[in-house]
Amino acid sequence: MIEFTLNGKTVRSDDDPSTPLLWVVRDTFKLKGSKFGCGAGLCGACTMHIDGDASRTCITPLSAVAGRNVTTIEGLGTPDDMHPLQEAWVQLSVPQCGYCQSGQIMSAASLLEKNPNPSSTEVDAAMSGNICRCGCYVRIKDAVLQVAGQNLAYNAAEESKA
Amino acid sequence: MNTTNMSRRKFLKTTSVIGGGLVVGFSMTGCASGKLPIALSEGAFIPNAFLQITPENTVRFYCPRDEMGQGVTTGLGTLIGEELDVHPKDMEIEFSGVHSDYNNPDFGVQATGGSSSLKAHYLHLRQVGANTRALLVDAASKNLGVSVGDIATEDGHIVVAGKRYPYGQFVGTAATMNTSDEAPLKSNTNFRYIGKEFSRVDATVKSTGTAEYGIDIDIPGMHHAVVKRSPVAGAKLKSVDKSKAQNMPGVTDVVEISSGVAVVAEKYWQAKTAAEKLSPVWEEVALAKVDTETVRQDYIAAMKNDDGISDTDEGDVEAGLDTADHIIEAEYWAPYLAHAPLEPMNAVVRIENGEADVWSGTQGIVAARGLVSRFSDIPVEKVRAHNTYLGGAFGRRGTLTHVIEATEVAVATNKPIHLLWSREDDIRNGVYRPASLMKIRAGLKDDGSITAWQAKRVGGNITPKTLENMMPALFPGLGDGTIDFMVGLSRNVFAGWMVDHSSVEGLFEDYDTANKTVDHVTVEHDVPLTFWRSVGHSYTSFAKEGMVDELAEKAGMDPVEFRVKNTQNNPRLNNVIRVAQQRMEKMRPADGHYLGFAAHNSFSTDVAEIAEISIEGNEIKVHKVTCVVDCGIAVNPDIVRAQMEGAVMFGLTAALYGDLDLEKGAFKQSNFHDYPILRMSEAPAVEVIIIDSGTEPTGVGEPGLPPIAPAVASAVFKATGQRLRSLPLKLA
Repeated sequence: MIEFTLNGKTVRSDDDPSTPLLWVVRDTFKLKGSKFGCGAGLCGACTMHIDGDASRTCITPLSAVAGRNVTTIEGLGTPDDMHPLQEAWVQLSVPQCGYCQSGQIMSAASLLEKNPNPSSTEVDAAMSGNICRCGCYVRIKDAVLQVAGQNLAYNAAEESKA
Repeated sequence: MNTTNMSRRKFLKTTSVIGGGLVVGFSMTGCASGKLPIALSEGAFIPNAFLQITPENTVRFYCPRDEMGQGVTTGLGTLIGEELDVHPKDMEIEFSGVHSDYNNPDFGVQATGGSSSLKAHYLHLRQVGANTRALLVDAASKNLGVSVGDIATEDGHIVVAGKRYPYGQFVGTAATMNTSDEAPLKSNTNFRYIGKEFSRVDATVKSTGTAEYGIDIDIPGMHHAVVKRSPVAGAKLKSVDKSKAQNMPGVTDVVEISSGVAVVAEKYWQAKTAAEKLSPVWEEVALAKVDTETVRQDYIAAMKNDDGISDTDEGDVEAGLDTADHIIEAEYWAPYLAHAPLEPMNAVVRIENGEADVWSGTQGIVAARGLVSRFSDIPVEKVRAHNTYLGGAFGRRGTLTHVIEATEVAVATNKPIHLLWSREDDIRNGVYRPASLMKIRAGLKDDGSITAWQAKRVGGNITPKTLENMMPALFPGLGDGTIDFMVGLSRNVFAGWMVDHSSVEGLFEDYDTANKTVDHVTVEHDVPLTFWRSVGHSYTSFAKEGMVDELAEKAGMDPVEFRVKNTQNNPRLNNVIRVAQQRMEKMRPADGHYLGFAAHNSFSTDVAEIAEISIEGNEIKVHKVTCVVDCGIAVNPDIVRAQMEGAVMFGLTAALYGDLDLEKGAFKQSNFHDYPILRMSEAPAVEVIIIDSGTEPTGVGEPGLPPIAPAVASAVFKATGQRLRSLPLKLA
């Protein structure tokens, strides 16, 4: 039985400790916003925050998050109470198929928490672990840069305390 | 839009309990009045419907096309909302179930593809909206005792003398009235939503992780299935020791199915881990002796030795070549490619009490229903097919092997099954863009006119392979023997009698010359083939535009001016080229940066692209792409821009990286480390210029792709003097 914090709530899982966190979150806790794309940490669709760090959860075993703080897209914002990045995503019509966007937004949120005003090159570096097969990169970058420098309502300090 | 865990039937029942809603559908099957205004009664199930309006003034639009990212829910919602006077953002948009009323008017089946949706539904769904509005106006006239002429509509309301009444107030009356089938459509100058920009209707759900894809379906009792398949297409299972998987934690079943061995477990990861323990033995098939080099050599031999069959023969090519000052000939190669949509293939199938449900994001939900019926022996009337958002498709989600597999496993185990492919399955066990060898021989006069165009393509055919997959799905009642016969017939027809035009489209059409031939030689290696974003155009543009660039060089002309000169018979493409030319003249690329140009018509849309590149070491770096597009009326200009941006990135992935290698009949590549997809750090800025030609809209999902590879190749030539005639582009 492994205990960790999921979007601010303490949860316990008796899944095999080697099970990737992605599948624990999707199949056991039924949060479907984080996606499976490659199973090898190559595409970023499964990105969640572990103690505030953007992490590829398709290759992160459950055992690695014991006692730690996991945030998924569902914990970042909801349709009625969106994170500023999500608002920018909507305003700029960033998504096409949308499948990668949870991961993109989680990577972007982690970047802005650590570096509230990144340069274009820093955005590239932070976001290049996330593949968008539809090719929405122009808009993803615009949305991140638009939000950059804003006082984010949500921040890493809060997240790792929870 | 989000129909989470709520079956369509249950949803409709709920609506009818609320009661009194108005359902309006238009039969396209041509019977009687051609339209069916139907008042919902208790428990009614009325599938031939696009709109529902409740007494609470909720407007629901049953979108007949599949949302794979191309923005079709926004686009079609805009068409119907324009004439209904309801903003698409104020509608609830649901994916339709299966019914012939939801057929694609261009195809006659319920399928989405070929950049057809906006074009096919432009007048159709506007008419649905207009007729519905007319009904509501008539009902308001009756209820309020005012003449129709004194009634206006806006934002889902009847407006009389400045007072607003919600549509919902009149649905009871409207449901009892007859409608005119000739309600007039708005003139373009009165458009409120068409041609305007607003964010996509699905942007919020797709930015909050709440959009539901096939992979997200989770139903009670559901078990997860993972299939081990042969790495070589078409090889059947010979033997397998199931015991190693059977005893793994959570595993409930290990069953043999038509494509291999399925491991079923309570959770996905258990099934996945257990399936890795299996070492199935596969039968030997002919493909197992084929490498990429075999394919290439077979194509080269066919190009030399086989005249092929004729697709196009206009004028007199030999005479045209005789009058030429120069004859130029070149061969172009394009490899097999996988679509690699980010959501791997998946399907959920439940069979219970002689009925079935299937959930899957597909480009033809009717095919999913047909396959479940065929492989479960449940009549189609008892199969409910539920579409979801598609996590990318690009042609891939027209082939539904995963639905067959999920059905077979559900039948064999008597459990609701969620079946999921891995990325490795996707790259290695999929259906592919065919490899192609193309030769073009052209005659040129010193004045820069083209005297003859002789093109030939060697490769596999897309259509018969797709038929092989689609026919069992679309005709679940037809026996296997009949289908085998028809598929075999089509294979032979395209190999020997007529050209599968999808395989050569785009190879010759765009430029002026009276003398053209296109020939085709079919060489198959049993690699499963299908449509891949922009289909034949995805490789023919590379050959055609490459040759045009070489002709311009030979004529000593600017390559853009050469294209202007030689598209006089093709005024819309000519205009797109000239607009791009004007933009290009203003560009001042930095030192070491070079501009390349290409233009191409596909799916009735004209696109020109300018690529700005530099060479860094032995790498091609693309900095910026300018795209000029004429797609008629841009129903939502922002979505047109998004599709151009996306097609440029998709095309660049193919131009710079896309390659699949066969080794003993199996594809060597397996995931994004060796089948790379363009990433943000490699992505160019994209500028899109939309020409508003005011004609009826044509598609935008695919046409942005074909020009990008030749535009980059043209810039590489300027930078290095190297003519790259093989994809992906690699510097010598």
